[in-house]
Amino acid sequence: MVYEAQYAPGETKIAENRRRHINPSHELEKMRNVADEDVVKLLGHKNPGEGYKTVHPPLDEMDFEEDAMKDLVEPIDGAKDGIRVRYVQFADSMYNAPAQPYDRARTYLWRFRGVDTGTLSGRQVVEMRESDLEAMSKSLIETELFDPAKTGLRGATVHGHSLRLDEDGLMFDALQRYVYNKETGHVNYVKDQVGKPLDEPVDVGEPLDEDHLKDITTIYRSENVGLREDKELIEVVETIHAARTDGGFGLGVFKDDLRCKLGDKNER
Amino acid sequence: MDEVKAVDVKIFPYRLLKPETTEKILNQVMELEGILRVLINGESLPKLINYGPAKGLEVNHQDRKVIKVKDKEIELLVSVGEIIITVDHEKLNSFVEELEKILEDSLNFKYDISVGVFTKTKTTVSDYLKYGSGFEESINPKVIGMVDPNSKSSETVKFIGD
Repeated sequence: MVYEAQYAPGETKIAENRRRHINPSHELEKMRNVADEDVVKLLGHKNPGEGYKTVHPPLDEMDFEEDAMKDLVEPIDGAKDGIRVRYVQFADSMYNAPAQPYDRARTYLWRFRGVDTGTLSGRQVVEMRESDLEAMSKSLIETELFDPAKTGLRGATVHGHSLRLDEDGLMFDALQRYVYNKETGHVNYVKDQVGKPLDEPVDVGEPLDEDHLKDITTIYRSENVGLREDKELIEVVETIHAARTDGGFGLGVFKDDLRCKLGDKNER
Repeated sequence: MDEVKAVDVKIFPYRLLKPETTEKILNQVMELEGILRVLINGESLPKLINYGPAKGLEVNHQDRKVIKVKDKEIELLVSVGEIIITVDHEKLNSFVEELEKILEDSLNFKYDISVGVFTKTKTTVSDYLKYGSGFEESINPKVIGMVDPNSKSSETVKFIGD
């Protein structure tokens, strides 16, 4: 029997958006251009143009014991070259940001290889070999997963995803890594992801329209599409809840077993 | 000191206010009759980065600014999310009416105005921890309950007007 991946349950546009993000055969829409050099600056792990630091020799030059798994799994480029592992972290506002942590986790795992990702309530961190991380970060910033105003590139001090927006519609950031440029209408990053000032601001484009965000968001929200409106999703959540409750406690098994031990002949 | 019947009015804007907007609103509000005290709440804005690889660097947040209210300088330490104004109970109705007009003119987004008790009305253990026992005699009763026990009153409390 062949199964077809469904990616995410639900019958609303929110669920559809989640499937679009997660499904690797769907090509994410490119919304803006950010230069490779600017991505390196934003990540702040090395200076633009600087070589990658390595933590081991290239895999080709290393001796390994025979391992079938190593033949089966093709290493990613960064691993082949022994490049160190670095991270990128995004925070997503609850005011209809395009992506949100769980959606990001699933998207990362379906779309990219060699990722180690961690989900928290308002942010999603991902670790990867540095060279591959840069390519991944670039695609995450340039595509529909990112909104300059409602998504933040934040390595530390991420607080803000559940707060009200500021007057320009930007998500609160205690370190103010990005500012709204009234003249151009664009959002400019003036600090890297941990808050170190950049030499020159990095332009990440115009914030998306709020109504457009309501269409492309993956967050259920009562003033847009509420979770309860999605019957299919509720059904799946309830099924999982019931299965975990029964399976987790083993109530049925325990009850039958106890009755049997108490001498009830009619029970197994 | 005579006891005054007071009530709190809370302004809850749907966006975090910029210092300029806060300054504009406060200056207009301070002209109204019946105000006893004003409390500004919001998300704290650090002066220095206190966590992560950039620890110790200046933040330079545009919202952490010195604003002028009735010619007195006040340094905003927060991104303003809530303004609580304690008002003389007798002047409450006219105050709220005027306040609505001011907010209608200065804000281009939604806001809530609620009337109730949003500040402490009695001395609590936190106050005794901060000021010591029997402090009530030596300080202005209006200050009681206004500040976080961890903060310095000199930074967070300003006396403006009479």
